Amino acid sequence: MAELERGEEQRREITRRTFLKLMSGLGLAGVAVLSGGCLKPLAEQVGGEGWLPPRYGTPDIRPDQIRGKVSINKDDPALVVDDRLCDLCGRCVEACHKVQSVFGYYQLPIKDEVICVHCGQCALACSPGAIRERDDTAQVEEWLRDPSKFVVVQTAPATRVSLGEEFGLLPGTWVAGQQVAALRRLGFDAVMDTNFTADLTIMEEATELIKRVKGECPQPLPLITSCSPGWIKFCEYFYPELLPHLSTCKSPQQMFGALVKTYYAKVMGLDPENIVSVSIMPCTAKKFEAKRPEMNSSGIYWGKPEIRDVDAVLTTRELARMLKKSGLHLATLPAEEYNSLMGESTGAATIFGATGGVMEAAVRTFYFFVTGEAPPPQLMELTPVRGLTGVKEGKLTIPGVGQVQVAVAHGLANARVVLEAVKAGQAPWHFIEVMACPGGCIGGGGQPKTVVPPSDEVRQQRIAALYEADAQMAKRESHENAELAALYQNFLGHPSSKLAHELLHTKYYSRADKLVRVEPAGRS
Amino acid sequence: MTEEKGVLVDITRCIGCGACTVACRMHNKLDGATEKKAGGREREGGLVAGRWTVVNAYDVMRNGEPVRRFVKRQCLHCREPVCVEVCFARGLAKAPDGPVLYSGRRVCVGCRYCQLACPFGVITMEWGEVFSRVSKCQMCYDRLQEGLAPACVAACTTEALQFGRRDDLLHEARQRIAKHPDRYVPHIFGEKEVGGTNWLYLSDVPFAELGFNTEVMDKSITTYTWKYIRKAPILAVSLPLVFAALYVYTKRRNENEHGH
Repeated sequence: MAELERGEEQRREITRRTFLKLMSGLGLAGVAVLSGGCLKPLAEQVGGEGWLPPRYGTPDIRPDQIRGKVSINKDDPALVVDDRLCDLCGRCVEACHKVQSVFGYYQLPIKDEVICVHCGQCALACSPGAIRERDDTAQVEEWLRDPSKFVVVQTAPATRVSLGEEFGLLPGTWVAGQQVAALRRLGFDAVMDTNFTADLTIMEEATELIKRVKGECPQPLPLITSCSPGWIKFCEYFYPELLPHLSTCKSPQQMFGALVKTYYAKVMGLDPENIVSVSIMPCTAKKFEAKRPEMNSSGIYWGKPEIRDVDAVLTTRELARMLKKSGLHLATLPAEEYNSLMGESTGAATIFGATGGVMEAAVRTFYFFVTGEAPPPQLMELTPVRGLTGVKEGKLTIPGVGQVQVAVAHGLANARVVLEAVKAGQAPWHFIEVMACPGGCIGGGGQPKTVVPPSDEVRQQRIAALYEADAQMAKRESHENAELAALYQNFLGHPSSKLAHELLHTKYYSRADKLVRVEPAGRS
Repeated sequence: MTEEKGVLVDITRCIGCGACTVACRMHNKLDGATEKKAGGREREGGLVAGRWTVVNAYDVMRNGEPVRRFVKRQCLHCREPVCVEVCFARGLAKAPDGPVLYSGRRVCVGCRYCQLACPFGVITMEWGEVFSRVSKCQMCYDRLQEGLAPACVAACTTEALQFGRRDDLLHEARQRIAKHPDRYVPHIFGEKEVGGTNWLYLSDVPFAELGFNTEVMDKSITTYTWKYIRKAPILAVSLPLVFAALYVYTKRRNENEHGH
């Protein structure tokens, strides 16, 4: 019976009527499903299963609670940031705002660039390593492989007491000779010393100071040092009215770059276009400085403006990476000497790496220039300008000039204290040293991240090593440098000569149109 | 009663640090592995599956001077979202306090109706997945329930992002424009666009130059479709009646003709 029925059903034709019935039934079911929905709304939570540091979950109590991250331009010449590594600890903002007084010191909206002095203190404070120096090692490696290039390298005063930390040595371990050996093994054709041009800077700057003190040139007192490119950019941004106070001397790195493609090229018989000039620096702002458009004095000297004085800047961290990549262990290398011609230096140049060092070195030579005698012991140990106090002052009596008052500031927030006084005309000082980074170059943004965030203890150890080296040196005043004397005799003539001005001095440009300052009183 | 929340983005205060994007990635666990779901396809404007918000830089001119402006892009959380309207699976929903939520991963069929419907192009699909589904900003619904601001707002260092009741934010925005007429263009993006959005923007450069879709209508898109859609129930009832009547009529006529 059932079989029969099934048979009948199978034989039953699908008429138009049954088809429409079927379709309308399906349609009704569809309408029912659509109007009912498959589930209740908000049934499933999407997102929010991650983590944020606790301070992002509490009501806003800025500015006491530092959070977020600093802004870095995509095309920044010195620094890069990898957002994937950032964990919003906020230490970079703290460094930028409290230590360097850059973040939060300009009005919003910004103009056409994010305000940055490239000091790299944010990179030093960044524990996950999201903010880093722009890596130029690949370019340098390419030059080293190119046999047609003569690659010259200079090493800054501060890297010789910190490079060892990347290889497990204690902060402040003296590795000058090992650094030279390592650079030779990497394939650099000549390893010379930024300290040589640090001595040169002193010769030029002490001459400038004498001129200004004696009123022989139109520029005003106090004279402010110009060795720190982060500080220079800071001054161009925030204190353009003080630019005439800046020493016109280039930084030692740029003096070296200008000379290596002129003086060195001539003496060695090299084509300046085949020379590649690399520098090892504790500093990220030096990358920016080397790319400043006006830093092609050697190019102008040869009538080929495309020649740059310094072609690439590597930070201490980048050099350490290159050494590790090549399997060179710094501690096992023998100590070697710098190449001659631009390799000799004095104790005065060595202490350039520490805050107060440029001041102390300049005072030694200033004394000699004025009196013609070696400075007394208390000037060789100028303790008032040593140490990690934010702003340091000193008074010196120099026969023939009288009392000279000096000030030293390191860290740009400290510098503001001094600069505001100068701006208000209340500054008793004749000579001021400013370094962008706390502790001076030894605390630079390109230094090994031995302790994160950087500590005064490590800074102190590095500084102690520099002063110890200075104390042990036979020659401790810049004018005693024999290779420097040869440079003046054979090439430049005398300090502050016309050629010296073309190669070793520079101009500064106001960047006041890039921002609107927040006046200290009105800061929120 | 739930208050309608929102976020006010003041483009003139943004310095483009990207802390908001980092906070979003951390709070919503959008790590690199999630970004792989995007299958390498990025939408115009930089949004991609697993990257719910992005900050874009625009170099534009203002009063004859070049300026760089940063625009944070994410779901604007429309008050009357079209994406929710078009979703037949009910995978999207509008929460009473503001967020437009994609809460139906299990029911989503990946049809992309919402993506095509969105007037601001903020809905991304997980193209790297075999079964691609939607990926979009949730306005940190979980944080809102705890009374906290969305993660991006909490991470903003310059107070370019501000969280609060939408009415308060509108008031605040109007006040800022009134106080600094030289600083802002007199337009609050999101006040009226597509019937209003829960995210509001202030700018000193016309919005059209900053990648905003300024061609959207002021009224909600659903008010236009409603004119037609609302006729559906009448038709659903009346048409069967008409056809039933016709059926009865023709049947009777046939019987009359054949029977007698």
